[in-house]
Amino acid sequence: MTAGAPHPGTWALKGAVLAYQYTLRPVLGCNCRFYPSCSDYALEALGTHGALRGAWFAGRRILRCNPWHPGGYDPVPLSPGAGAAIQPVPKG
Amino acid sequence: MDQKRLLVAIAASIGILLLFDMFNRPARDAQRAQQQQAAQVQQPAPTPGPPGPLRAPTDASPAAGEPRTPAARLPVEGPRVEGTLSLRGARLDDLVLRNYHETVDRNSPLVRILAPREGSAPYYAQWGWTATDGRTKVPANDTDWTVDAGARLTPATPVTLRWDNGEGQLFEIALTLDENYLVTAEQRVRNTAAEPVQLLPWARVRRESTPPTQGFYILHEGFVGVLDGRLREATYATAKSDGAKANGVALDQETGAGWAGFTDKYWLAALSPANPAIRTRTAFRHVSDAGPRGPEDRWQVDMAATSPISVANGATSVLGTRLFAGAKEVKLLDAYRDNLGIPDFDKAIDFGWFYFLTKPFFYALDWLFLLIGNFGVAILIFTVALKAAFFPLANKAYKSMSRMKILGPKMTEIRERHKEDPAKAQQEMMALYKTEKINPASGCLPILIQIPVFFALYKVLFVTIEMRHAPFFGWIHDLSAPDPTNLFNLFGLIPYDPTQLTHYLHMPAWALIMGATMFFQQKLNPQPPDPIQAKIFQWMPIIFTFMLASFPAGLVIYWSWNNLLSIAQQRYIMSLEAKRGGGKPAPAAPALAKPKKG
Repeated sequence: MTAGAPHPGTWALKGAVLAYQYTLRPVLGCNCRFYPSCSDYALEALGTHGALRGAWFAGRRILRCNPWHPGGYDPVPLSPGAGAAIQPVPKG
Repeated sequence: MDQKRLLVAIAASIGILLLFDMFNRPARDAQRAQQQQAAQVQQPAPTPGPPGPLRAPTDASPAAGEPRTPAARLPVEGPRVEGTLSLRGARLDDLVLRNYHETVDRNSPLVRILAPREGSAPYYAQWGWTATDGRTKVPANDTDWTVDAGARLTPATPVTLRWDNGEGQLFEIALTLDENYLVTAEQRVRNTAAEPVQLLPWARVRRESTPPTQGFYILHEGFVGVLDGRLREATYATAKSDGAKANGVALDQETGAGWAGFTDKYWLAALSPANPAIRTRTAFRHVSDAGPRGPEDRWQVDMAATSPISVANGATSVLGTRLFAGAKEVKLLDAYRDNLGIPDFDKAIDFGWFYFLTKPFFYALDWLFLLIGNFGVAILIFTVALKAAFFPLANKAYKSMSRMKILGPKMTEIRERHKEDPAKAQQEMMALYKTEKINPASGCLPILIQIPVFFALYKVLFVTIEMRHAPFFGWIHDLSAPDPTNLFNLFGLIPYDPTQLTHYLHMPAWALIMGATMFFQQKLNPQPPDPIQAKIFQWMPIIFTFMLASFPAGLVIYWSWNNLLSIAQQRYIMSLEAKRGGGKPAPAAPALAKPKKG
């Protein structure tokens, strides 16, 4: 998976996330404990890491997004291999 | 710019959907009306000729014009079914269900499951043989079978149909009826001629018109069966297109224990081998016949021996099959599965992918129904129980809310600082939540877990027969039908039915209640950060009110109740937190997640 490659799997997954954002999300409301929200995170992760790694990051993010996790600012890891390390909060 | 275009695209798609539905609906209604009308008008019998299993020649009967005596009929009477079997052709083609009426009115006609060829919607079961040696005379559609004088097929009195072909072969069909919807047939041939004969015994269920279907994505209607442990489903449309590629055969499979037939929303007619240990060959078929009004579709499910059977002099060949023709009652299907070894027979009910949830949900609902006596109330109680099960998840999230107040000033400060950049403000607030170890939202995972659960409940309510003709309070007499009241004639104050004009002029009371509860429930939810999504968010209650107007009332009531419970739950938790914090509830969740308004 090269970053940003127009892989059909990536497009399909991105489409699914977008479809969620415009149909289900308005019904369910926004309950994400993170910034960016899980769906935005998924879109970004798919864009920068491709279908496989992107889906992996997004899946782990959703699993983290539960009441037992503090949540907070959690951007998509930049370099592949950086894992899901939470980056220091930038000073405003 | 992009957003504007997207908004237009969404509006256009919704418009297309509505338009499609509008054009489609009258056609569907017309089709239904036409079929009902035609059912009353006696029609000339369609020319026989469609193929039986493996192109059985049984349908090739002599000239139809030849005057004949009317066919003798064998009465069929069980506790839950009644009808007749046509002794000409050995067709069970007249069967009604004694416990089910067509409408809520107790005096309305009984639901008809099987209907004769002379009517407009022929639907029957038939047992027969194909002569694979090409010379043995086998029973045909015009064969008059004999029974003992005064015979009646009841659970206490089995009946045997007999026919002697005059060439040394005696054909017999021994029929037994159980207390519910099951007919067991044993087809026997005794050969007294010197030469052995080659025969293929078969049983079939045949439908000579396309039934009106509900047309909902979440409900399967059409061909259905479990063959070698696999659920096989085909709608009439897919069977037609699959059949077109393979000479009318949409599916042809040799299988061990299994069953196959036609399913409607609530009714089923299906075949299964009487001995689960034998193998049979099962097929789904479609053919087009020239009818008086153009080509007519014929649908058939048949079950035959896997290969022709050679019957030597003095020998008897036997094939036993069961025919289920009745209502898809979960417990009854389960009992047949367990007692008769019909595998996965309960899958005739479209429990769907979430079978592991929908099936137990059904049993829980049914238990409540038996306890309370009203299916609507059972739905309400069950929904409360589900909500209670998820309560800890929701409550945990709100535990931290009392600490919000301490952070109040900091929050305002962040919002002030990033008035121009709401995304930035939200980002900083999330960081604050993290350092202070609080968070007002419950998270995506709990929501994702709840989606299949509530979808499963929705699905159960949609497919089970228990909701059919089940009353609720007030004006709801049938939970499975749309709420009959209508805002557009002021709930009956104006003596006019606006739905005659267009289907969209139907806005029942319960749909309005649903819309209102959804609106208030959304008020408590944080809005999406994206402005377009926020717009859609605001429109959702209105869209859903219109969408659910034509849905079964039971589902709309469930949905309203679910919304009400969500509101109550959120209010309760907030008040709990307020007490714990010793002050008024924090304006918390919704306000915080709406940084733009800050």
